[in-house]
Amino acid sequence: MSAPTASRPVGVDLQENEENRALVEAIEADNDDLTIRHMPGIIRLTKNGRLVINQASVEQRLGRPWETHEFQMAIITYFGEFVEWDDDQIVIAWQH
Amino acid sequence: MAVTAMYDYNWPSRSAAEFYGDAQLVHVWWKGNPFFVSAATFPFPKEMPFGALVGLCKEFFAADPDFDPASMDTARWAVDKEPLTPDMEASLVANGVGHKSLVQFEI
Amino acid sequence: MTVSPEKPARKLSMKQRYSALTHDLDWAPTYVQEEEIFPFTTFEGIKVHDWSKWEDPFRLTVEAYNKYQAEKDRRLYAVLDGFAQSQGQVGLTDARYMNAMKIFLQGIPVHEYNAHRNFSYLARYANGPGARFAALCQSMDELRHAQTEIHTLSHYNKYFDGMHHWHHWTDRVWYLSVPKSFFEDAMTAGPFEWLIAIGFSFEYLLTNLLFVPFMSGASFNGDLPTMTFGFSAQSDESRHMTLGLEAIKFMCEQDEDNVPIVQDWLDKWFWRGYRLIALVAGMMDYMHPKRVMSWKEAFELYFEEQMLNGLFKDLEYYGIKPPRHVQWAIDEKEILSHQVYWVLYQFSHAAAFSTTIPNAEDQAWLEANYPETWPVFKEVAWDKAQRVMDAGGRYFNPGLPQLCTVCQIPMGFTEPGNPLVQCQRQSVYEGERYDFCSDGCQWIFDREPTKYRQAWLPVHQIFQGNCGGPGGLPAVAEWYKLGPNDGAEYLGSNDQKNWLAWHGQTPKEA
Repeated sequence: MSAPTASRPVGVDLQENEENRALVEAIEADNDDLTIRHMPGIIRLTKNGRLVINQASVEQRLGRPWETHEFQMAIITYFGEFVEWDDDQIVIAWQH
Repeated sequence: MAVTAMYDYNWPSRSAAEFYGDAQLVHVWWKGNPFFVSAATFPFPKEMPFGALVGLCKEFFAADPDFDPASMDTARWAVDKEPLTPDMEASLVANGVGHKSLVQFEI
Repeated sequence: MTVSPEKPARKLSMKQRYSALTHDLDWAPTYVQEEEIFPFTTFEGIKVHDWSKWEDPFRLTVEAYNKYQAEKDRRLYAVLDGFAQSQGQVGLTDARYMNAMKIFLQGIPVHEYNAHRNFSYLARYANGPGARFAALCQSMDELRHAQTEIHTLSHYNKYFDGMHHWHHWTDRVWYLSVPKSFFEDAMTAGPFEWLIAIGFSFEYLLTNLLFVPFMSGASFNGDLPTMTFGFSAQSDESRHMTLGLEAIKFMCEQDEDNVPIVQDWLDKWFWRGYRLIALVAGMMDYMHPKRVMSWKEAFELYFEEQMLNGLFKDLEYYGIKPPRHVQWAIDEKEILSHQVYWVLYQFSHAAAFSTTIPNAEDQAWLEANYPETWPVFKEVAWDKAQRVMDAGGRYFNPGLPQLCTVCQIPMGFTEPGNPLVQCQRQSVYEGERYDFCSDGCQWIFDREPTKYRQAWLPVHQIFQGNCGGPGGLPAVAEWYKLGPNDGAEYLGSNDQKNWLAWHGQTPKEA
């Protein structure tokens, strides 16, 4: 039996730029125990179990309209799976 | 196993012996000296005496600044991983060297 | 990017929009059989009972796709323009960095184009609309990658050797048969094997090892265009990863009889992809003057941690196991980059990039990052190569290397635990001998010998007289369209002379 999904890391690498500051702040606010690592041009966000990106949370910090499709502009790579991608929320987790 | 395909899949080798005429590919390997990052492949005439191969090796491996050609005279040889005391006058083929055989030596 | 502050409410949710513009546009044929429309999706033995179960979490529609891809291109080309206008090439850490990008240009864009072609084929010949649309987006992405890579690197072609005939070299030059044979192997397999080979094994398991450290390395070395291209492509890659993961899950979920077929493909393609990526190991550790991380570190992070300890725990659910020869790859992580660069160093006289002995700073980094294996290489390889230089020469291997029939790399990989003895594996099939660098490559051959005996091995072809000539290596170089300044030794090269001139320096005494 594999380790429970709640304890396995998932994460996303984002482009480190001005526009993504609000996105990172929103993700940090909405996810407990988030680890942040900086590499040249990249900001890596990791946590165990489930990582959530909330549209309203990002939009509020960004100060302009933001739809979840726009997340594609920020992402470099990820690990885990996109178990949900809707107008209001994106969720990265392992299913099994 | 057979290749899974929508037809009877069977294509010939691109490196078959017939493409080399009187020559064959021979891989020559100085085992234990990775200054030469890999074995070297040569198109040697099948009937070339083994001694001629040794002579060519003495020139080839001189690219290593620490190589002493005389050390090849007491080298331990193997062909396709079977130890061999080569008959230097006999041909490669007579010494058991076939197409794409591995001829290795240790000093 | 501007969006009107007063957004009208969407009539359909994202899920509904996606469905309306993909699945709901499909139809069941009434006057032809499904097998006539889709003739290629049964012969591999993969059983699919319900294509509608193929999911795409990105839920892209053509509208969203075009909008965001256009924006990515606008941002990228703005950076390329700025770099060119500001003479950005002068700000690289060193001209020798460009050798990594020469290999990139020679070995990758043509295969992005090949991926474009094969995903285009899937966009037509996959039965399910969800799979077809995802393949269509990926096909457009891969064409975009081919184009943007060529545009990104074309600026450097004005200032550096080794880039002018990349397309010609891709199909002919010995080290480029490594990626060529990899992609052509996948393209000549069936659609489901392609999906596991490229969609999953390459674009999910191994992609981060190719792109992320490499692109960070570009950033560290002042190569703004490559870095920007890389990050721009990577956001497409996240969709590709998703397609690959969906492919393997879909196949495993559709029928448990599919699992052993998928496992075999995974075992094969992990190994083929891992051997292909070895070129990146050499580039990261030896060709980047400023390094972000070592190959060993990258492998541990992007493969061992994320894949073995993350993804494969997830795939256990289906009965999928980690790849067959994965332990060999783990055992090699301390040594792989040394071996690869040692191959490139001694054969760069026949290549379209130059190489050089690691300098004092490089050697200090190598010692710090590979305390067990660097000292061995220093002694058996680099100190000797230095002695040859000090005596006025330059070590190049005097012959042509033994090549592995499967991965086509010179057989410089060593037995696990014995860095002084190259691994030699042989199989005999229908009376002919074939050579391999590892258990992994041998296993692949033994499984499908009639495929791999067709390998167009550059060294064998040269000796058959199929690569120009007669006239030995000079004739081959002419057939390759290699110029006299395109390869060999970096010190004293045109690239170095130009570099020094741009910076107002004079060459030091040799």
